[in-house]
Amino acid sequence: MKFDRFAKLIAGLSLAFALPWIFLVMVPFITGSNLKALPYPEGQEVDGGVTAYPDKALYQHGSSDYGRQLYAAEGCAYCHTQVIRPTYAGADMWRKGWGGREEDGFARETQARDYLQEEIAPLGYQRIGPDLSNVGHRITDRDLMHRHLSDPTSIDRDSGMPAFLHLYEKSPDGSKLVPNKKAEALVDYLLSLKKDQPLPSKG
Amino acid sequence: MTVPQPTPEEIKERATIDRSTRYPVMFFFTSAAAWLLAATILGFLSSVKLRVPGLWDECQFMGYGRLFPAHLNALVYGWAMQAGIGVMLWLMARLTRTPLRQTVAVLVTGHIWNAAVALAVCTVWFGFGKSIPLLDFPTWVWPILAIAYALTVMWVIPMFRTRREGLPYISEMFVVGAVLWFPWIFVTANILINKGTAPVMGAGLNAWFISNLSYFWMAPVSLAVAYYIIPKISGRPIFSYPLAHASFWLLAFLAGWTGFSRYMGGPFPAWMSAISGSASIFILLAILATVVNLMISLKGCSKLWRYSPSLRFTVFGMLMLAIYAILSAASSTYFFGKNLQFSHFMVGLDTLAFYGFFSMTIFGAIYFIVPRITGSEWPSGGRIRNHFWFSAYGIITLVITMLVGGIAQGGDLAVWDRAFSVSFVNSSAYVVGRATAWALIGYSNLLFLCQLYQMFVGKGRKSEGPTLLHSEPGKAASAKAAAEMS
Repeated sequence: MKFDRFAKLIAGLSLAFALPWIFLVMVPFITGSNLKALPYPEGQEVDGGVTAYPDKALYQHGSSDYGRQLYAAEGCAYCHTQVIRPTYAGADMWRKGWGGREEDGFARETQARDYLQEEIAPLGYQRIGPDLSNVGHRITDRDLMHRHLSDPTSIDRDSGMPAFLHLYEKSPDGSKLVPNKKAEALVDYLLSLKKDQPLPSKG
Repeated sequence: MTVPQPTPEEIKERATIDRSTRYPVMFFFTSAAAWLLAATILGFLSSVKLRVPGLWDECQFMGYGRLFPAHLNALVYGWAMQAGIGVMLWLMARLTRTPLRQTVAVLVTGHIWNAAVALAVCTVWFGFGKSIPLLDFPTWVWPILAIAYALTVMWVIPMFRTRREGLPYISEMFVVGAVLWFPWIFVTANILINKGTAPVMGAGLNAWFISNLSYFWMAPVSLAVAYYIIPKISGRPIFSYPLAHASFWLLAFLAGWTGFSRYMGGPFPAWMSAISGSASIFILLAILATVVNLMISLKGCSKLWRYSPSLRFTVFGMLMLAIYAILSAASSTYFFGKNLQFSHFMVGLDTLAFYGFFSMTIFGAIYFIVPRITGSEWPSGGRIRNHFWFSAYGIITLVITMLVGGIAQGGDLAVWDRAFSVSFVNSSAYVVGRATAWALIGYSNLLFLCQLYQMFVGKGRKSEGPTLLHSEPGKAASAKAAAEMS
């Protein structure tokens, strides 16, 4: 009798949790794990002779894999997001350069396949700083990217970005900062951030 | 209707049960309070760093991206979960009338838990984190936490099964639920996220974990406390017991669906954030029904609020729970959420869960439990009063400034041609409020830790009556009159 009541309670509690666990967690996870790159249909021309979306080679940039770990370890995602919301959910796509190549005026929202080169998509916690989904298009110059990391207020007086001085060493005469291996990797990763590859057209 | 008074035998039995939990529960409470102080200091430092970005730039350990996750880990795993475990053990022993027999085993696993929390906080702080809130310690840390948790709380199950009376009380059901659900969400989230095969789901599961931690662990534990403390102190039964049952099952069946609305508009199928949003709105019904039910049970007992520390903290925690449910339901709709998403508001919301409703209710439980298991009374009512007001002002300041700051920040971001730094500059004043809040909370917890330490080493007040927030007017007046007479 006692056991019955206990078993019933446990069964009820388990059922309550099992439903969302299966339908909201496991099924989408398995579906997400089976995401494959989509080939472009014939007739759709894409710059650089790329044949599939996403092309992982596009997101490799020097030591960007190590840079990705540093991005996580320094907690960059606590202040920077990497997600562009569609227009019904925010003004992200209208912001200059956020949704894609600035010069073409091209913009699109981010999609699940844009993150296939990551292990955990760094969607981010807050937006203290700007979104970085397409920062590789906005800042193409390596030295400028280093300046963003080592002396951000020299670019924007009102910037809320701290200087990551522990990634830099003073040059022997003390006149300028020399990036160490970590800073180079982080810059490689940031330059590789582009989430605007054209989607395969349907039909 | 009044509750029947216990017989002398029952009082003696209660004392035996209380004493059996003394060492493990006091161990969990004191180490949790120490972690809480560490967490508030880290919270204060991270808020200062956010307001003054150029501060401590040379030191890699003082970056916001490291201080803030270290703060969150210390707050949740060090303080909240540990204090919650202590409360669960005592509450279960009391309610099932079974002494805790595995004192040594629980003390050992408690030490393992503390070591694992220290590893989690330090690895994140020293730069081995993964930038996913509350799960950002290296992969090898989570199994230690999961095993230590399971080995500590599993003793609740035999207690529940050997209970002598008929139907389980609602608090017991909440405790059993919390025991069962936490390992399930924790292990699922960690295994799937670290597998790394579905990157976007990794981030989504993280949001799901944070929301489930609030609704599937913190809410059940604090409701178990409220359903125990409020009838106990007021001497009245719960207003509607069937309503309590109904809202328990409503919460149980809905909580697991929440969480994905944090990333609404993100790279997920739209139904996922839609279903999470609707679950958060329906949960509001369960939470409001629960809180109203508890408040009606207290009708006519407003005087007790003035004197009883446990009741005051618990009632405040329950009101905060209602506010949390309202804010989290509002922010999961596009109407409010699209500007609040990714803003300071999210920090305010998470802190409201961890400190606002959970910690305040747990303080209520601790003020009730510790005198009973140590056999002495709290040293000073004035210090309890200070603890309450500094904590209450602190958390209210934090939530209001983060809500208003979040609206300001989100509003600036929604204007597409406004320079990005405007949103930083306009909202940074509110970060001062956040730093102030942590300073107030830090002071209140220093008081709390000192008092708890005195109780731990047996320097509490030896007295017949409990320590009240204010001395009762009748007694104070007669004492004054007696002093004047002599």
